[in-house]
Amino acid sequence: MSLALIVLLPFLGALLPGLLIRSGRNACATATASVTVLALALLLVHTPAVLRGEVVQAGWDWLPGLGLNANFFLDGLGLLFAGLILGIGLLIIIYARFYLSEKDPMGLFYTYLLLFQGAMVGVVLSDNILLLLVFWELTSLSSFLLIGYWRHLPAGRQGARMALVVTGGGGLAMIAGMLLLGQMAGSYDLSVILERGEQIQASPLYLPTLLLILVGCFTKSAQFPFHFWLPHAMAAPTPVSAYLHSATMVKAGIFLLARLWPVLAGTDVWFYLVATTGLFTMVLAAGIALFKDDLKGLLAYSTVSHLGLVTFLFGLGSPMAAAAGVFHIINHATFKAALFMSAGIVDHETGTRHIPRLGGLMHLMPVTATLAMVAAASMAGIPPFNGFISKEMMLEQAAHTPWAGLPWLVPAAATLGAVFSVAYALRYAVHVFWGPPRADYPRRPHDPAAGFWLPPAVLVALVVIIGLFPEQTAGPLVRAAADAVTGGALPDLHLYLWHGLTPALGMSVVALLGGAALLWRYGDAWARWRAGPHPEAKTMYDAAMARLVAASQYIIHTLHNGALQRYLAVMLASAVVLGYAAFSGAAHLPGTRETLEIFPVAGVLWLLMAGGCWLAVAHHRQRLLAVVAVSVVGLMVSIGFLYLSAPDLALTQISVEVVTTVLMLLALYFLPKRTPEESSGARRVRDGVLAVLAGVGVGGLCWAVLTRDFSTISGYYLDQAVPGGGGANVVNVILVDFRGFDTFGEIIVLGIAALAIYALLEGALRGPAAAHLAAWKGDMPRAADRHPIMMVVATRVMLPLALLVGVYILLRGHNMPGGGFIAGLVVSIALIMQYMASGFQWAARRMAVDYDALIGLGVLVAGATGVAAMVGGYPFLTSAHDYVHLPWVGEVELASAMVFDVGVFLTVVGAVMLALAQVSRLGLVASHEPANEGPMDFDPSTPARTARRDPS
Amino acid sequence: MNLHLPDFAPVLPELTVMLMACAILVIDLFLPQERRHITYGLTQFTLLGGVALILVLATPDPRITFGGSYVADPLSDLLKSAVLLISAVVFLYARPYLQARELYKGEFYVLGLFGVLGMMVMISAHSLLTLYLGLELLALSLYALVAFNRDASAASESAMKYFVLGSIASGMLLYGMSLLYGITGSLNLTGVAAGIVAGLTSPDLNLALVFALAFVVVGIGFKLGAVPFHMWIPDVYHGAPTPVALFISAAPKIAGFAIAIRLLVDGLAPLQESWSGMLLVLAVLSLAIGNVVAIAQTNIKRMFAYSTIAHIGFVVMGLMVGNEQGYAAGMFYVLVYALMSAGGFGMIMLLSRKGFEADNLEDFKGLNDRSPWFAFVMLLLMFSMAGIPPTVGFYAKLAVLQSVIQADLIWLALFAVILSVIGAFYYLRVVKFMYFDKPVDDAPLTGSGDFNVVLSLNGLAMIALGLFPGVLMSLTAAVR
Repeated sequence: MSLALIVLLPFLGALLPGLLIRSGRNACATATASVTVLALALLLVHTPAVLRGEVVQAGWDWLPGLGLNANFFLDGLGLLFAGLILGIGLLIIIYARFYLSEKDPMGLFYTYLLLFQGAMVGVVLSDNILLLLVFWELTSLSSFLLIGYWRHLPAGRQGARMALVVTGGGGLAMIAGMLLLGQMAGSYDLSVILERGEQIQASPLYLPTLLLILVGCFTKSAQFPFHFWLPHAMAAPTPVSAYLHSATMVKAGIFLLARLWPVLAGTDVWFYLVATTGLFTMVLAAGIALFKDDLKGLLAYSTVSHLGLVTFLFGLGSPMAAAAGVFHIINHATFKAALFMSAGIVDHETGTRHIPRLGGLMHLMPVTATLAMVAAASMAGIPPFNGFISKEMMLEQAAHTPWAGLPWLVPAAATLGAVFSVAYALRYAVHVFWGPPRADYPRRPHDPAAGFWLPPAVLVALVVIIGLFPEQTAGPLVRAAADAVTGGALPDLHLYLWHGLTPALGMSVVALLGGAALLWRYGDAWARWRAGPHPEAKTMYDAAMARLVAASQYIIHTLHNGALQRYLAVMLASAVVLGYAAFSGAAHLPGTRETLEIFPVAGVLWLLMAGGCWLAVAHHRQRLLAVVAVSVVGLMVSIGFLYLSAPDLALTQISVEVVTTVLMLLALYFLPKRTPEESSGARRVRDGVLAVLAGVGVGGLCWAVLTRDFSTISGYYLDQAVPGGGGANVVNVILVDFRGFDTFGEIIVLGIAALAIYALLEGALRGPAAAHLAAWKGDMPRAADRHPIMMVVATRVMLPLALLVGVYILLRGHNMPGGGFIAGLVVSIALIMQYMASGFQWAARRMAVDYDALIGLGVLVAGATGVAAMVGGYPFLTSAHDYVHLPWVGEVELASAMVFDVGVFLTVVGAVMLALAQVSRLGLVASHEPANEGPMDFDPSTPARTARRDPS
Repeated sequence: MNLHLPDFAPVLPELTVMLMACAILVIDLFLPQERRHITYGLTQFTLLGGVALILVLATPDPRITFGGSYVADPLSDLLKSAVLLISAVVFLYARPYLQARELYKGEFYVLGLFGVLGMMVMISAHSLLTLYLGLELLALSLYALVAFNRDASAASESAMKYFVLGSIASGMLLYGMSLLYGITGSLNLTGVAAGIVAGLTSPDLNLALVFALAFVVVGIGFKLGAVPFHMWIPDVYHGAPTPVALFISAAPKIAGFAIAIRLLVDGLAPLQESWSGMLLVLAVLSLAIGNVVAIAQTNIKRMFAYSTIAHIGFVVMGLMVGNEQGYAAGMFYVLVYALMSAGGFGMIMLLSRKGFEADNLEDFKGLNDRSPWFAFVMLLLMFSMAGIPPTVGFYAKLAVLQSVIQADLIWLALFAVILSVIGAFYYLRVVKFMYFDKPVDDAPLTGSGDFNVVLSLNGLAMIALGLFPGVLMSLTAAVR
């Protein structure tokens, strides 16, 4: 359990700095440091066991459903990394105490630092790759906070965002890689995965897994071509750079390479991908580092270069190289952290880290200079420091490695990298500390307080001690770690300062001399560097982003341009494609039913209907014509119903047709005669194609259905209509009895619709809309005789007849074609005719009926029939019927459904009339004419037949 | 004929919401503007009461009532509770916004409650008709809500678009359902499934079934907002008042997921192979379009719209897998998504005030200087949306990806990951704006106490659920 505690301690401790910052900066730093010390002590407890080769494990189930367990384990590799993270972390905490100024919020800094530390320790101790992923991304997150800590520097912002996008993106790639790895191994636990190396390498998923994981590792460890983010993240405070870029974050990628080495390494793909990338990065970054004028920029690129070196070693795939890589991790962490810290001291003391403005500092700050120069010597690989030993081991490995059959390529490149490496390490020492002191430092430098330089001093001491006594100091740890990396395949490993006269030594000597020469002729080299091309990765990153945004904008313009038509087109086209996809791959045979012969009447009807459709589409801009064409279609449909022996439907259809046409004509009054042209030709073609496709689809379906035999449910209703509903008209019985509930709902909807029309138009009669209406001018002349005498007389005569027909239809509806709905429409038409003939005002004065009350009454009557049934102990709307003998009339059937039908009738009349009345009111306002007093345009009692009004 | 009453106990929560919505509609008529808070209070009481009722009535066994057209089971209990809770949060977020803009009217709450009722009916539907009923109730409430601010022409325009597109989608769904009914002779989902098994033996019926399925998928795709049926989302999010966009973005997606489960998984299980293929296409397109287009957005509501589409891609991917693990992963994702979306829109409303909508990305610049705490809350939300651990968004993505990989669709997992990387870019841009840019607008943030507390909790839930994802995950796995 103490293992988990090592991971959790920094997280828990992250609360402390924030709480303690009020008690002073020292208390804050001490608290932070003590957390790390405690974790380090816990780690030390386990050290002897791990060095003996044991593996300490601890954990519990966290999300067993996902295979995500909170398992931790500590082996040599974990020990090495955890030690580096905590050890260097402790030094950084002390160093930061002196580095941060009074203005910087120190509590926040330490909180971020501890969070980051915890995440790093979590990465190296996780025994579950998913858990590792969580910690991995946590490092991205917390490092983002650390890098962006100084908010006032614009460069810091840029760097923070780029770092996060690159490493965060890499981390997401790794999610996929890890999932694949777990899929291949059958478990997400590292200890299991590490034993399944052969099984994984044989799997076809090996290559994608490898690529994904490498993307994650390379982005994190800033390997080519993802190396560009690291130098940009250097705007962070120096303690952060020192911590993140020497010992911790960038090493996470390396750690994972090492961790998964037994599983992934050893194949050709691995060698060519990893070793080549490492080697290339090493040489390239070393070259760039040499010409960086920013002290931290130089160190940043040198870090990239050294990470390349370690990557290269792991990429070779041999146990010995892996051991060398492990050793170099320790060495690099020590000297690089020391170098960053001394760079920070220089920056802090002189006020600049621009190399050309520095020089001669050896005399002013001798302690710092000594520390920096020893560390730089180690970085250059000069004996007797630790950097020399691991570099020798690397060169030794490089010397024996052919690349694609070329034996000289790898040694040459490694040597070249070493030359650059020596050159920039020497430049760091020479250009900053040597030479005469200058007079123009931004600040007067001197050696800082001991607490400031002690942390790098500790590291430099390690550099020297490991260099002199490698076997005694680092030996056991390196062996334990290398054992863990190679999975026990390690041959006997001993670390010596002196390897004898080997090819590697020769290469080292060449590198030293070459590097020194390069620095000696630095001016020439620099001029040549300036002249060469500088592919700036950051601009490429920006350009790539710009291209992505442009692509995205293109999609927006083509797909989401805001036009409903386009949306509809896309949606319909997708539905067509989906439907077609579903439809394809099967035989599309028509059914086997005999087709009926076409009767001439039906043919004529059909042609008329098609003609009406065509007319409506072709002349849809001429609105009046379009309405006429549509009404032709409606008429044909009603005749069609009649032809197919459905008189009820025909009656309904034709009365609905009349009412809607009248209402539409009333509305047309307010619209321009022609619809403006709004769509381009191409769009019309597109819409036409879609419409034809949809139409053909529906037609095909109809054909497919109608040519097959089918069973209908009509038989049941035909049988049950008289015994069950007491009516011979099946349609009406269905409406008022079998499906009476539906009808009840429908009349309510109808009533609501009428009220909504009323409310909407009421809005048009008030406010700005009314003002607009009052100022409205019609665009066509109107006839002089609005209320022609023929029409007035005819409608008057017709009215009682029409009403009688309505009642007749209502009453007979139960047994013969008719019913409440049709009757309601017929009566409405009769009333509408009065309005049309004599004008709204005149008719309204004589129609003292409240239409909305009529709607309500209708619904209530219908509802009451239903409730009556419930009172009688039956379900809602159960109908009852009986026969009564009326004198003179004869046998009359009385069904409760009839009362229901009366309700329907009332509602329909009310709804239609309400809508009509409201539209008419609108017309009255817009026509600017006084309401007519008489029933027609002239008074028949006066002899002179003068028109009341001149049309002009 | 005897009067036969169905068992009303399982629908008690729905009945409560319905009756309360009607009651609030009437009560609100008699309230003067300064006592509108009574409407608000009653609405919240209804929602929370509904949750309490669901929890009290919950049993492990499914209870089917209304002649097999309604079901209350653990799945519906979980999803309905989530819908009610999220809606309660939405109403809470919406209040200050509405108050500041003379939109503080009873209609918002009544329409919202009817929408919630529609979602509950969708979730509990056990027949095609019930499902459609719920769907339309929700859709009609939403159309009206989008146009709620009648003076804003953008709102009316988007409501119109939403209405037209939505009606067509409903029509297609209905068409598919009617075909299903015709083929199987049953409206009841169990009956439909049984009818399909019988029908699969005939090649003719088989064809018709797949054809019907295509239209059902169109309807579900539209409700969820999966590409290519996503067109309404950006315009509606952009045009609708922010609280309405918030409402639409959160809970209805849960309901959409529920109908996908009910219809596809329960009703059309025998056709799983066919609908998996269709959903696969939807998922791939949603991921691609959603993520890529979001990059170029400068309006954060539009950005959220495209991010919704991308998230839906993940949800659909979970459904597409077609096994219990995939459904559980999809459900987890959609619940987490609703929570994230609520928080995201909550942040927009926190920043907005009368005359200033704060719906541009730029408006988030320098938020850290103005309010470090809410910058942090937004940071958590953005990280969660991007799927970066330890926020809960990571586990949501992980669960879906895992189920996809176990279904041997490696390429799809890789595709999803690559597009998530692209997606991370635009979420992190918001973070960058907040932390590293100078504020353009430095008016103090105005949020009432309850608003701030709930928004903070919403943000912290990202990390809390991220640390203990097992709580929610085991729930989703248990009901599926």
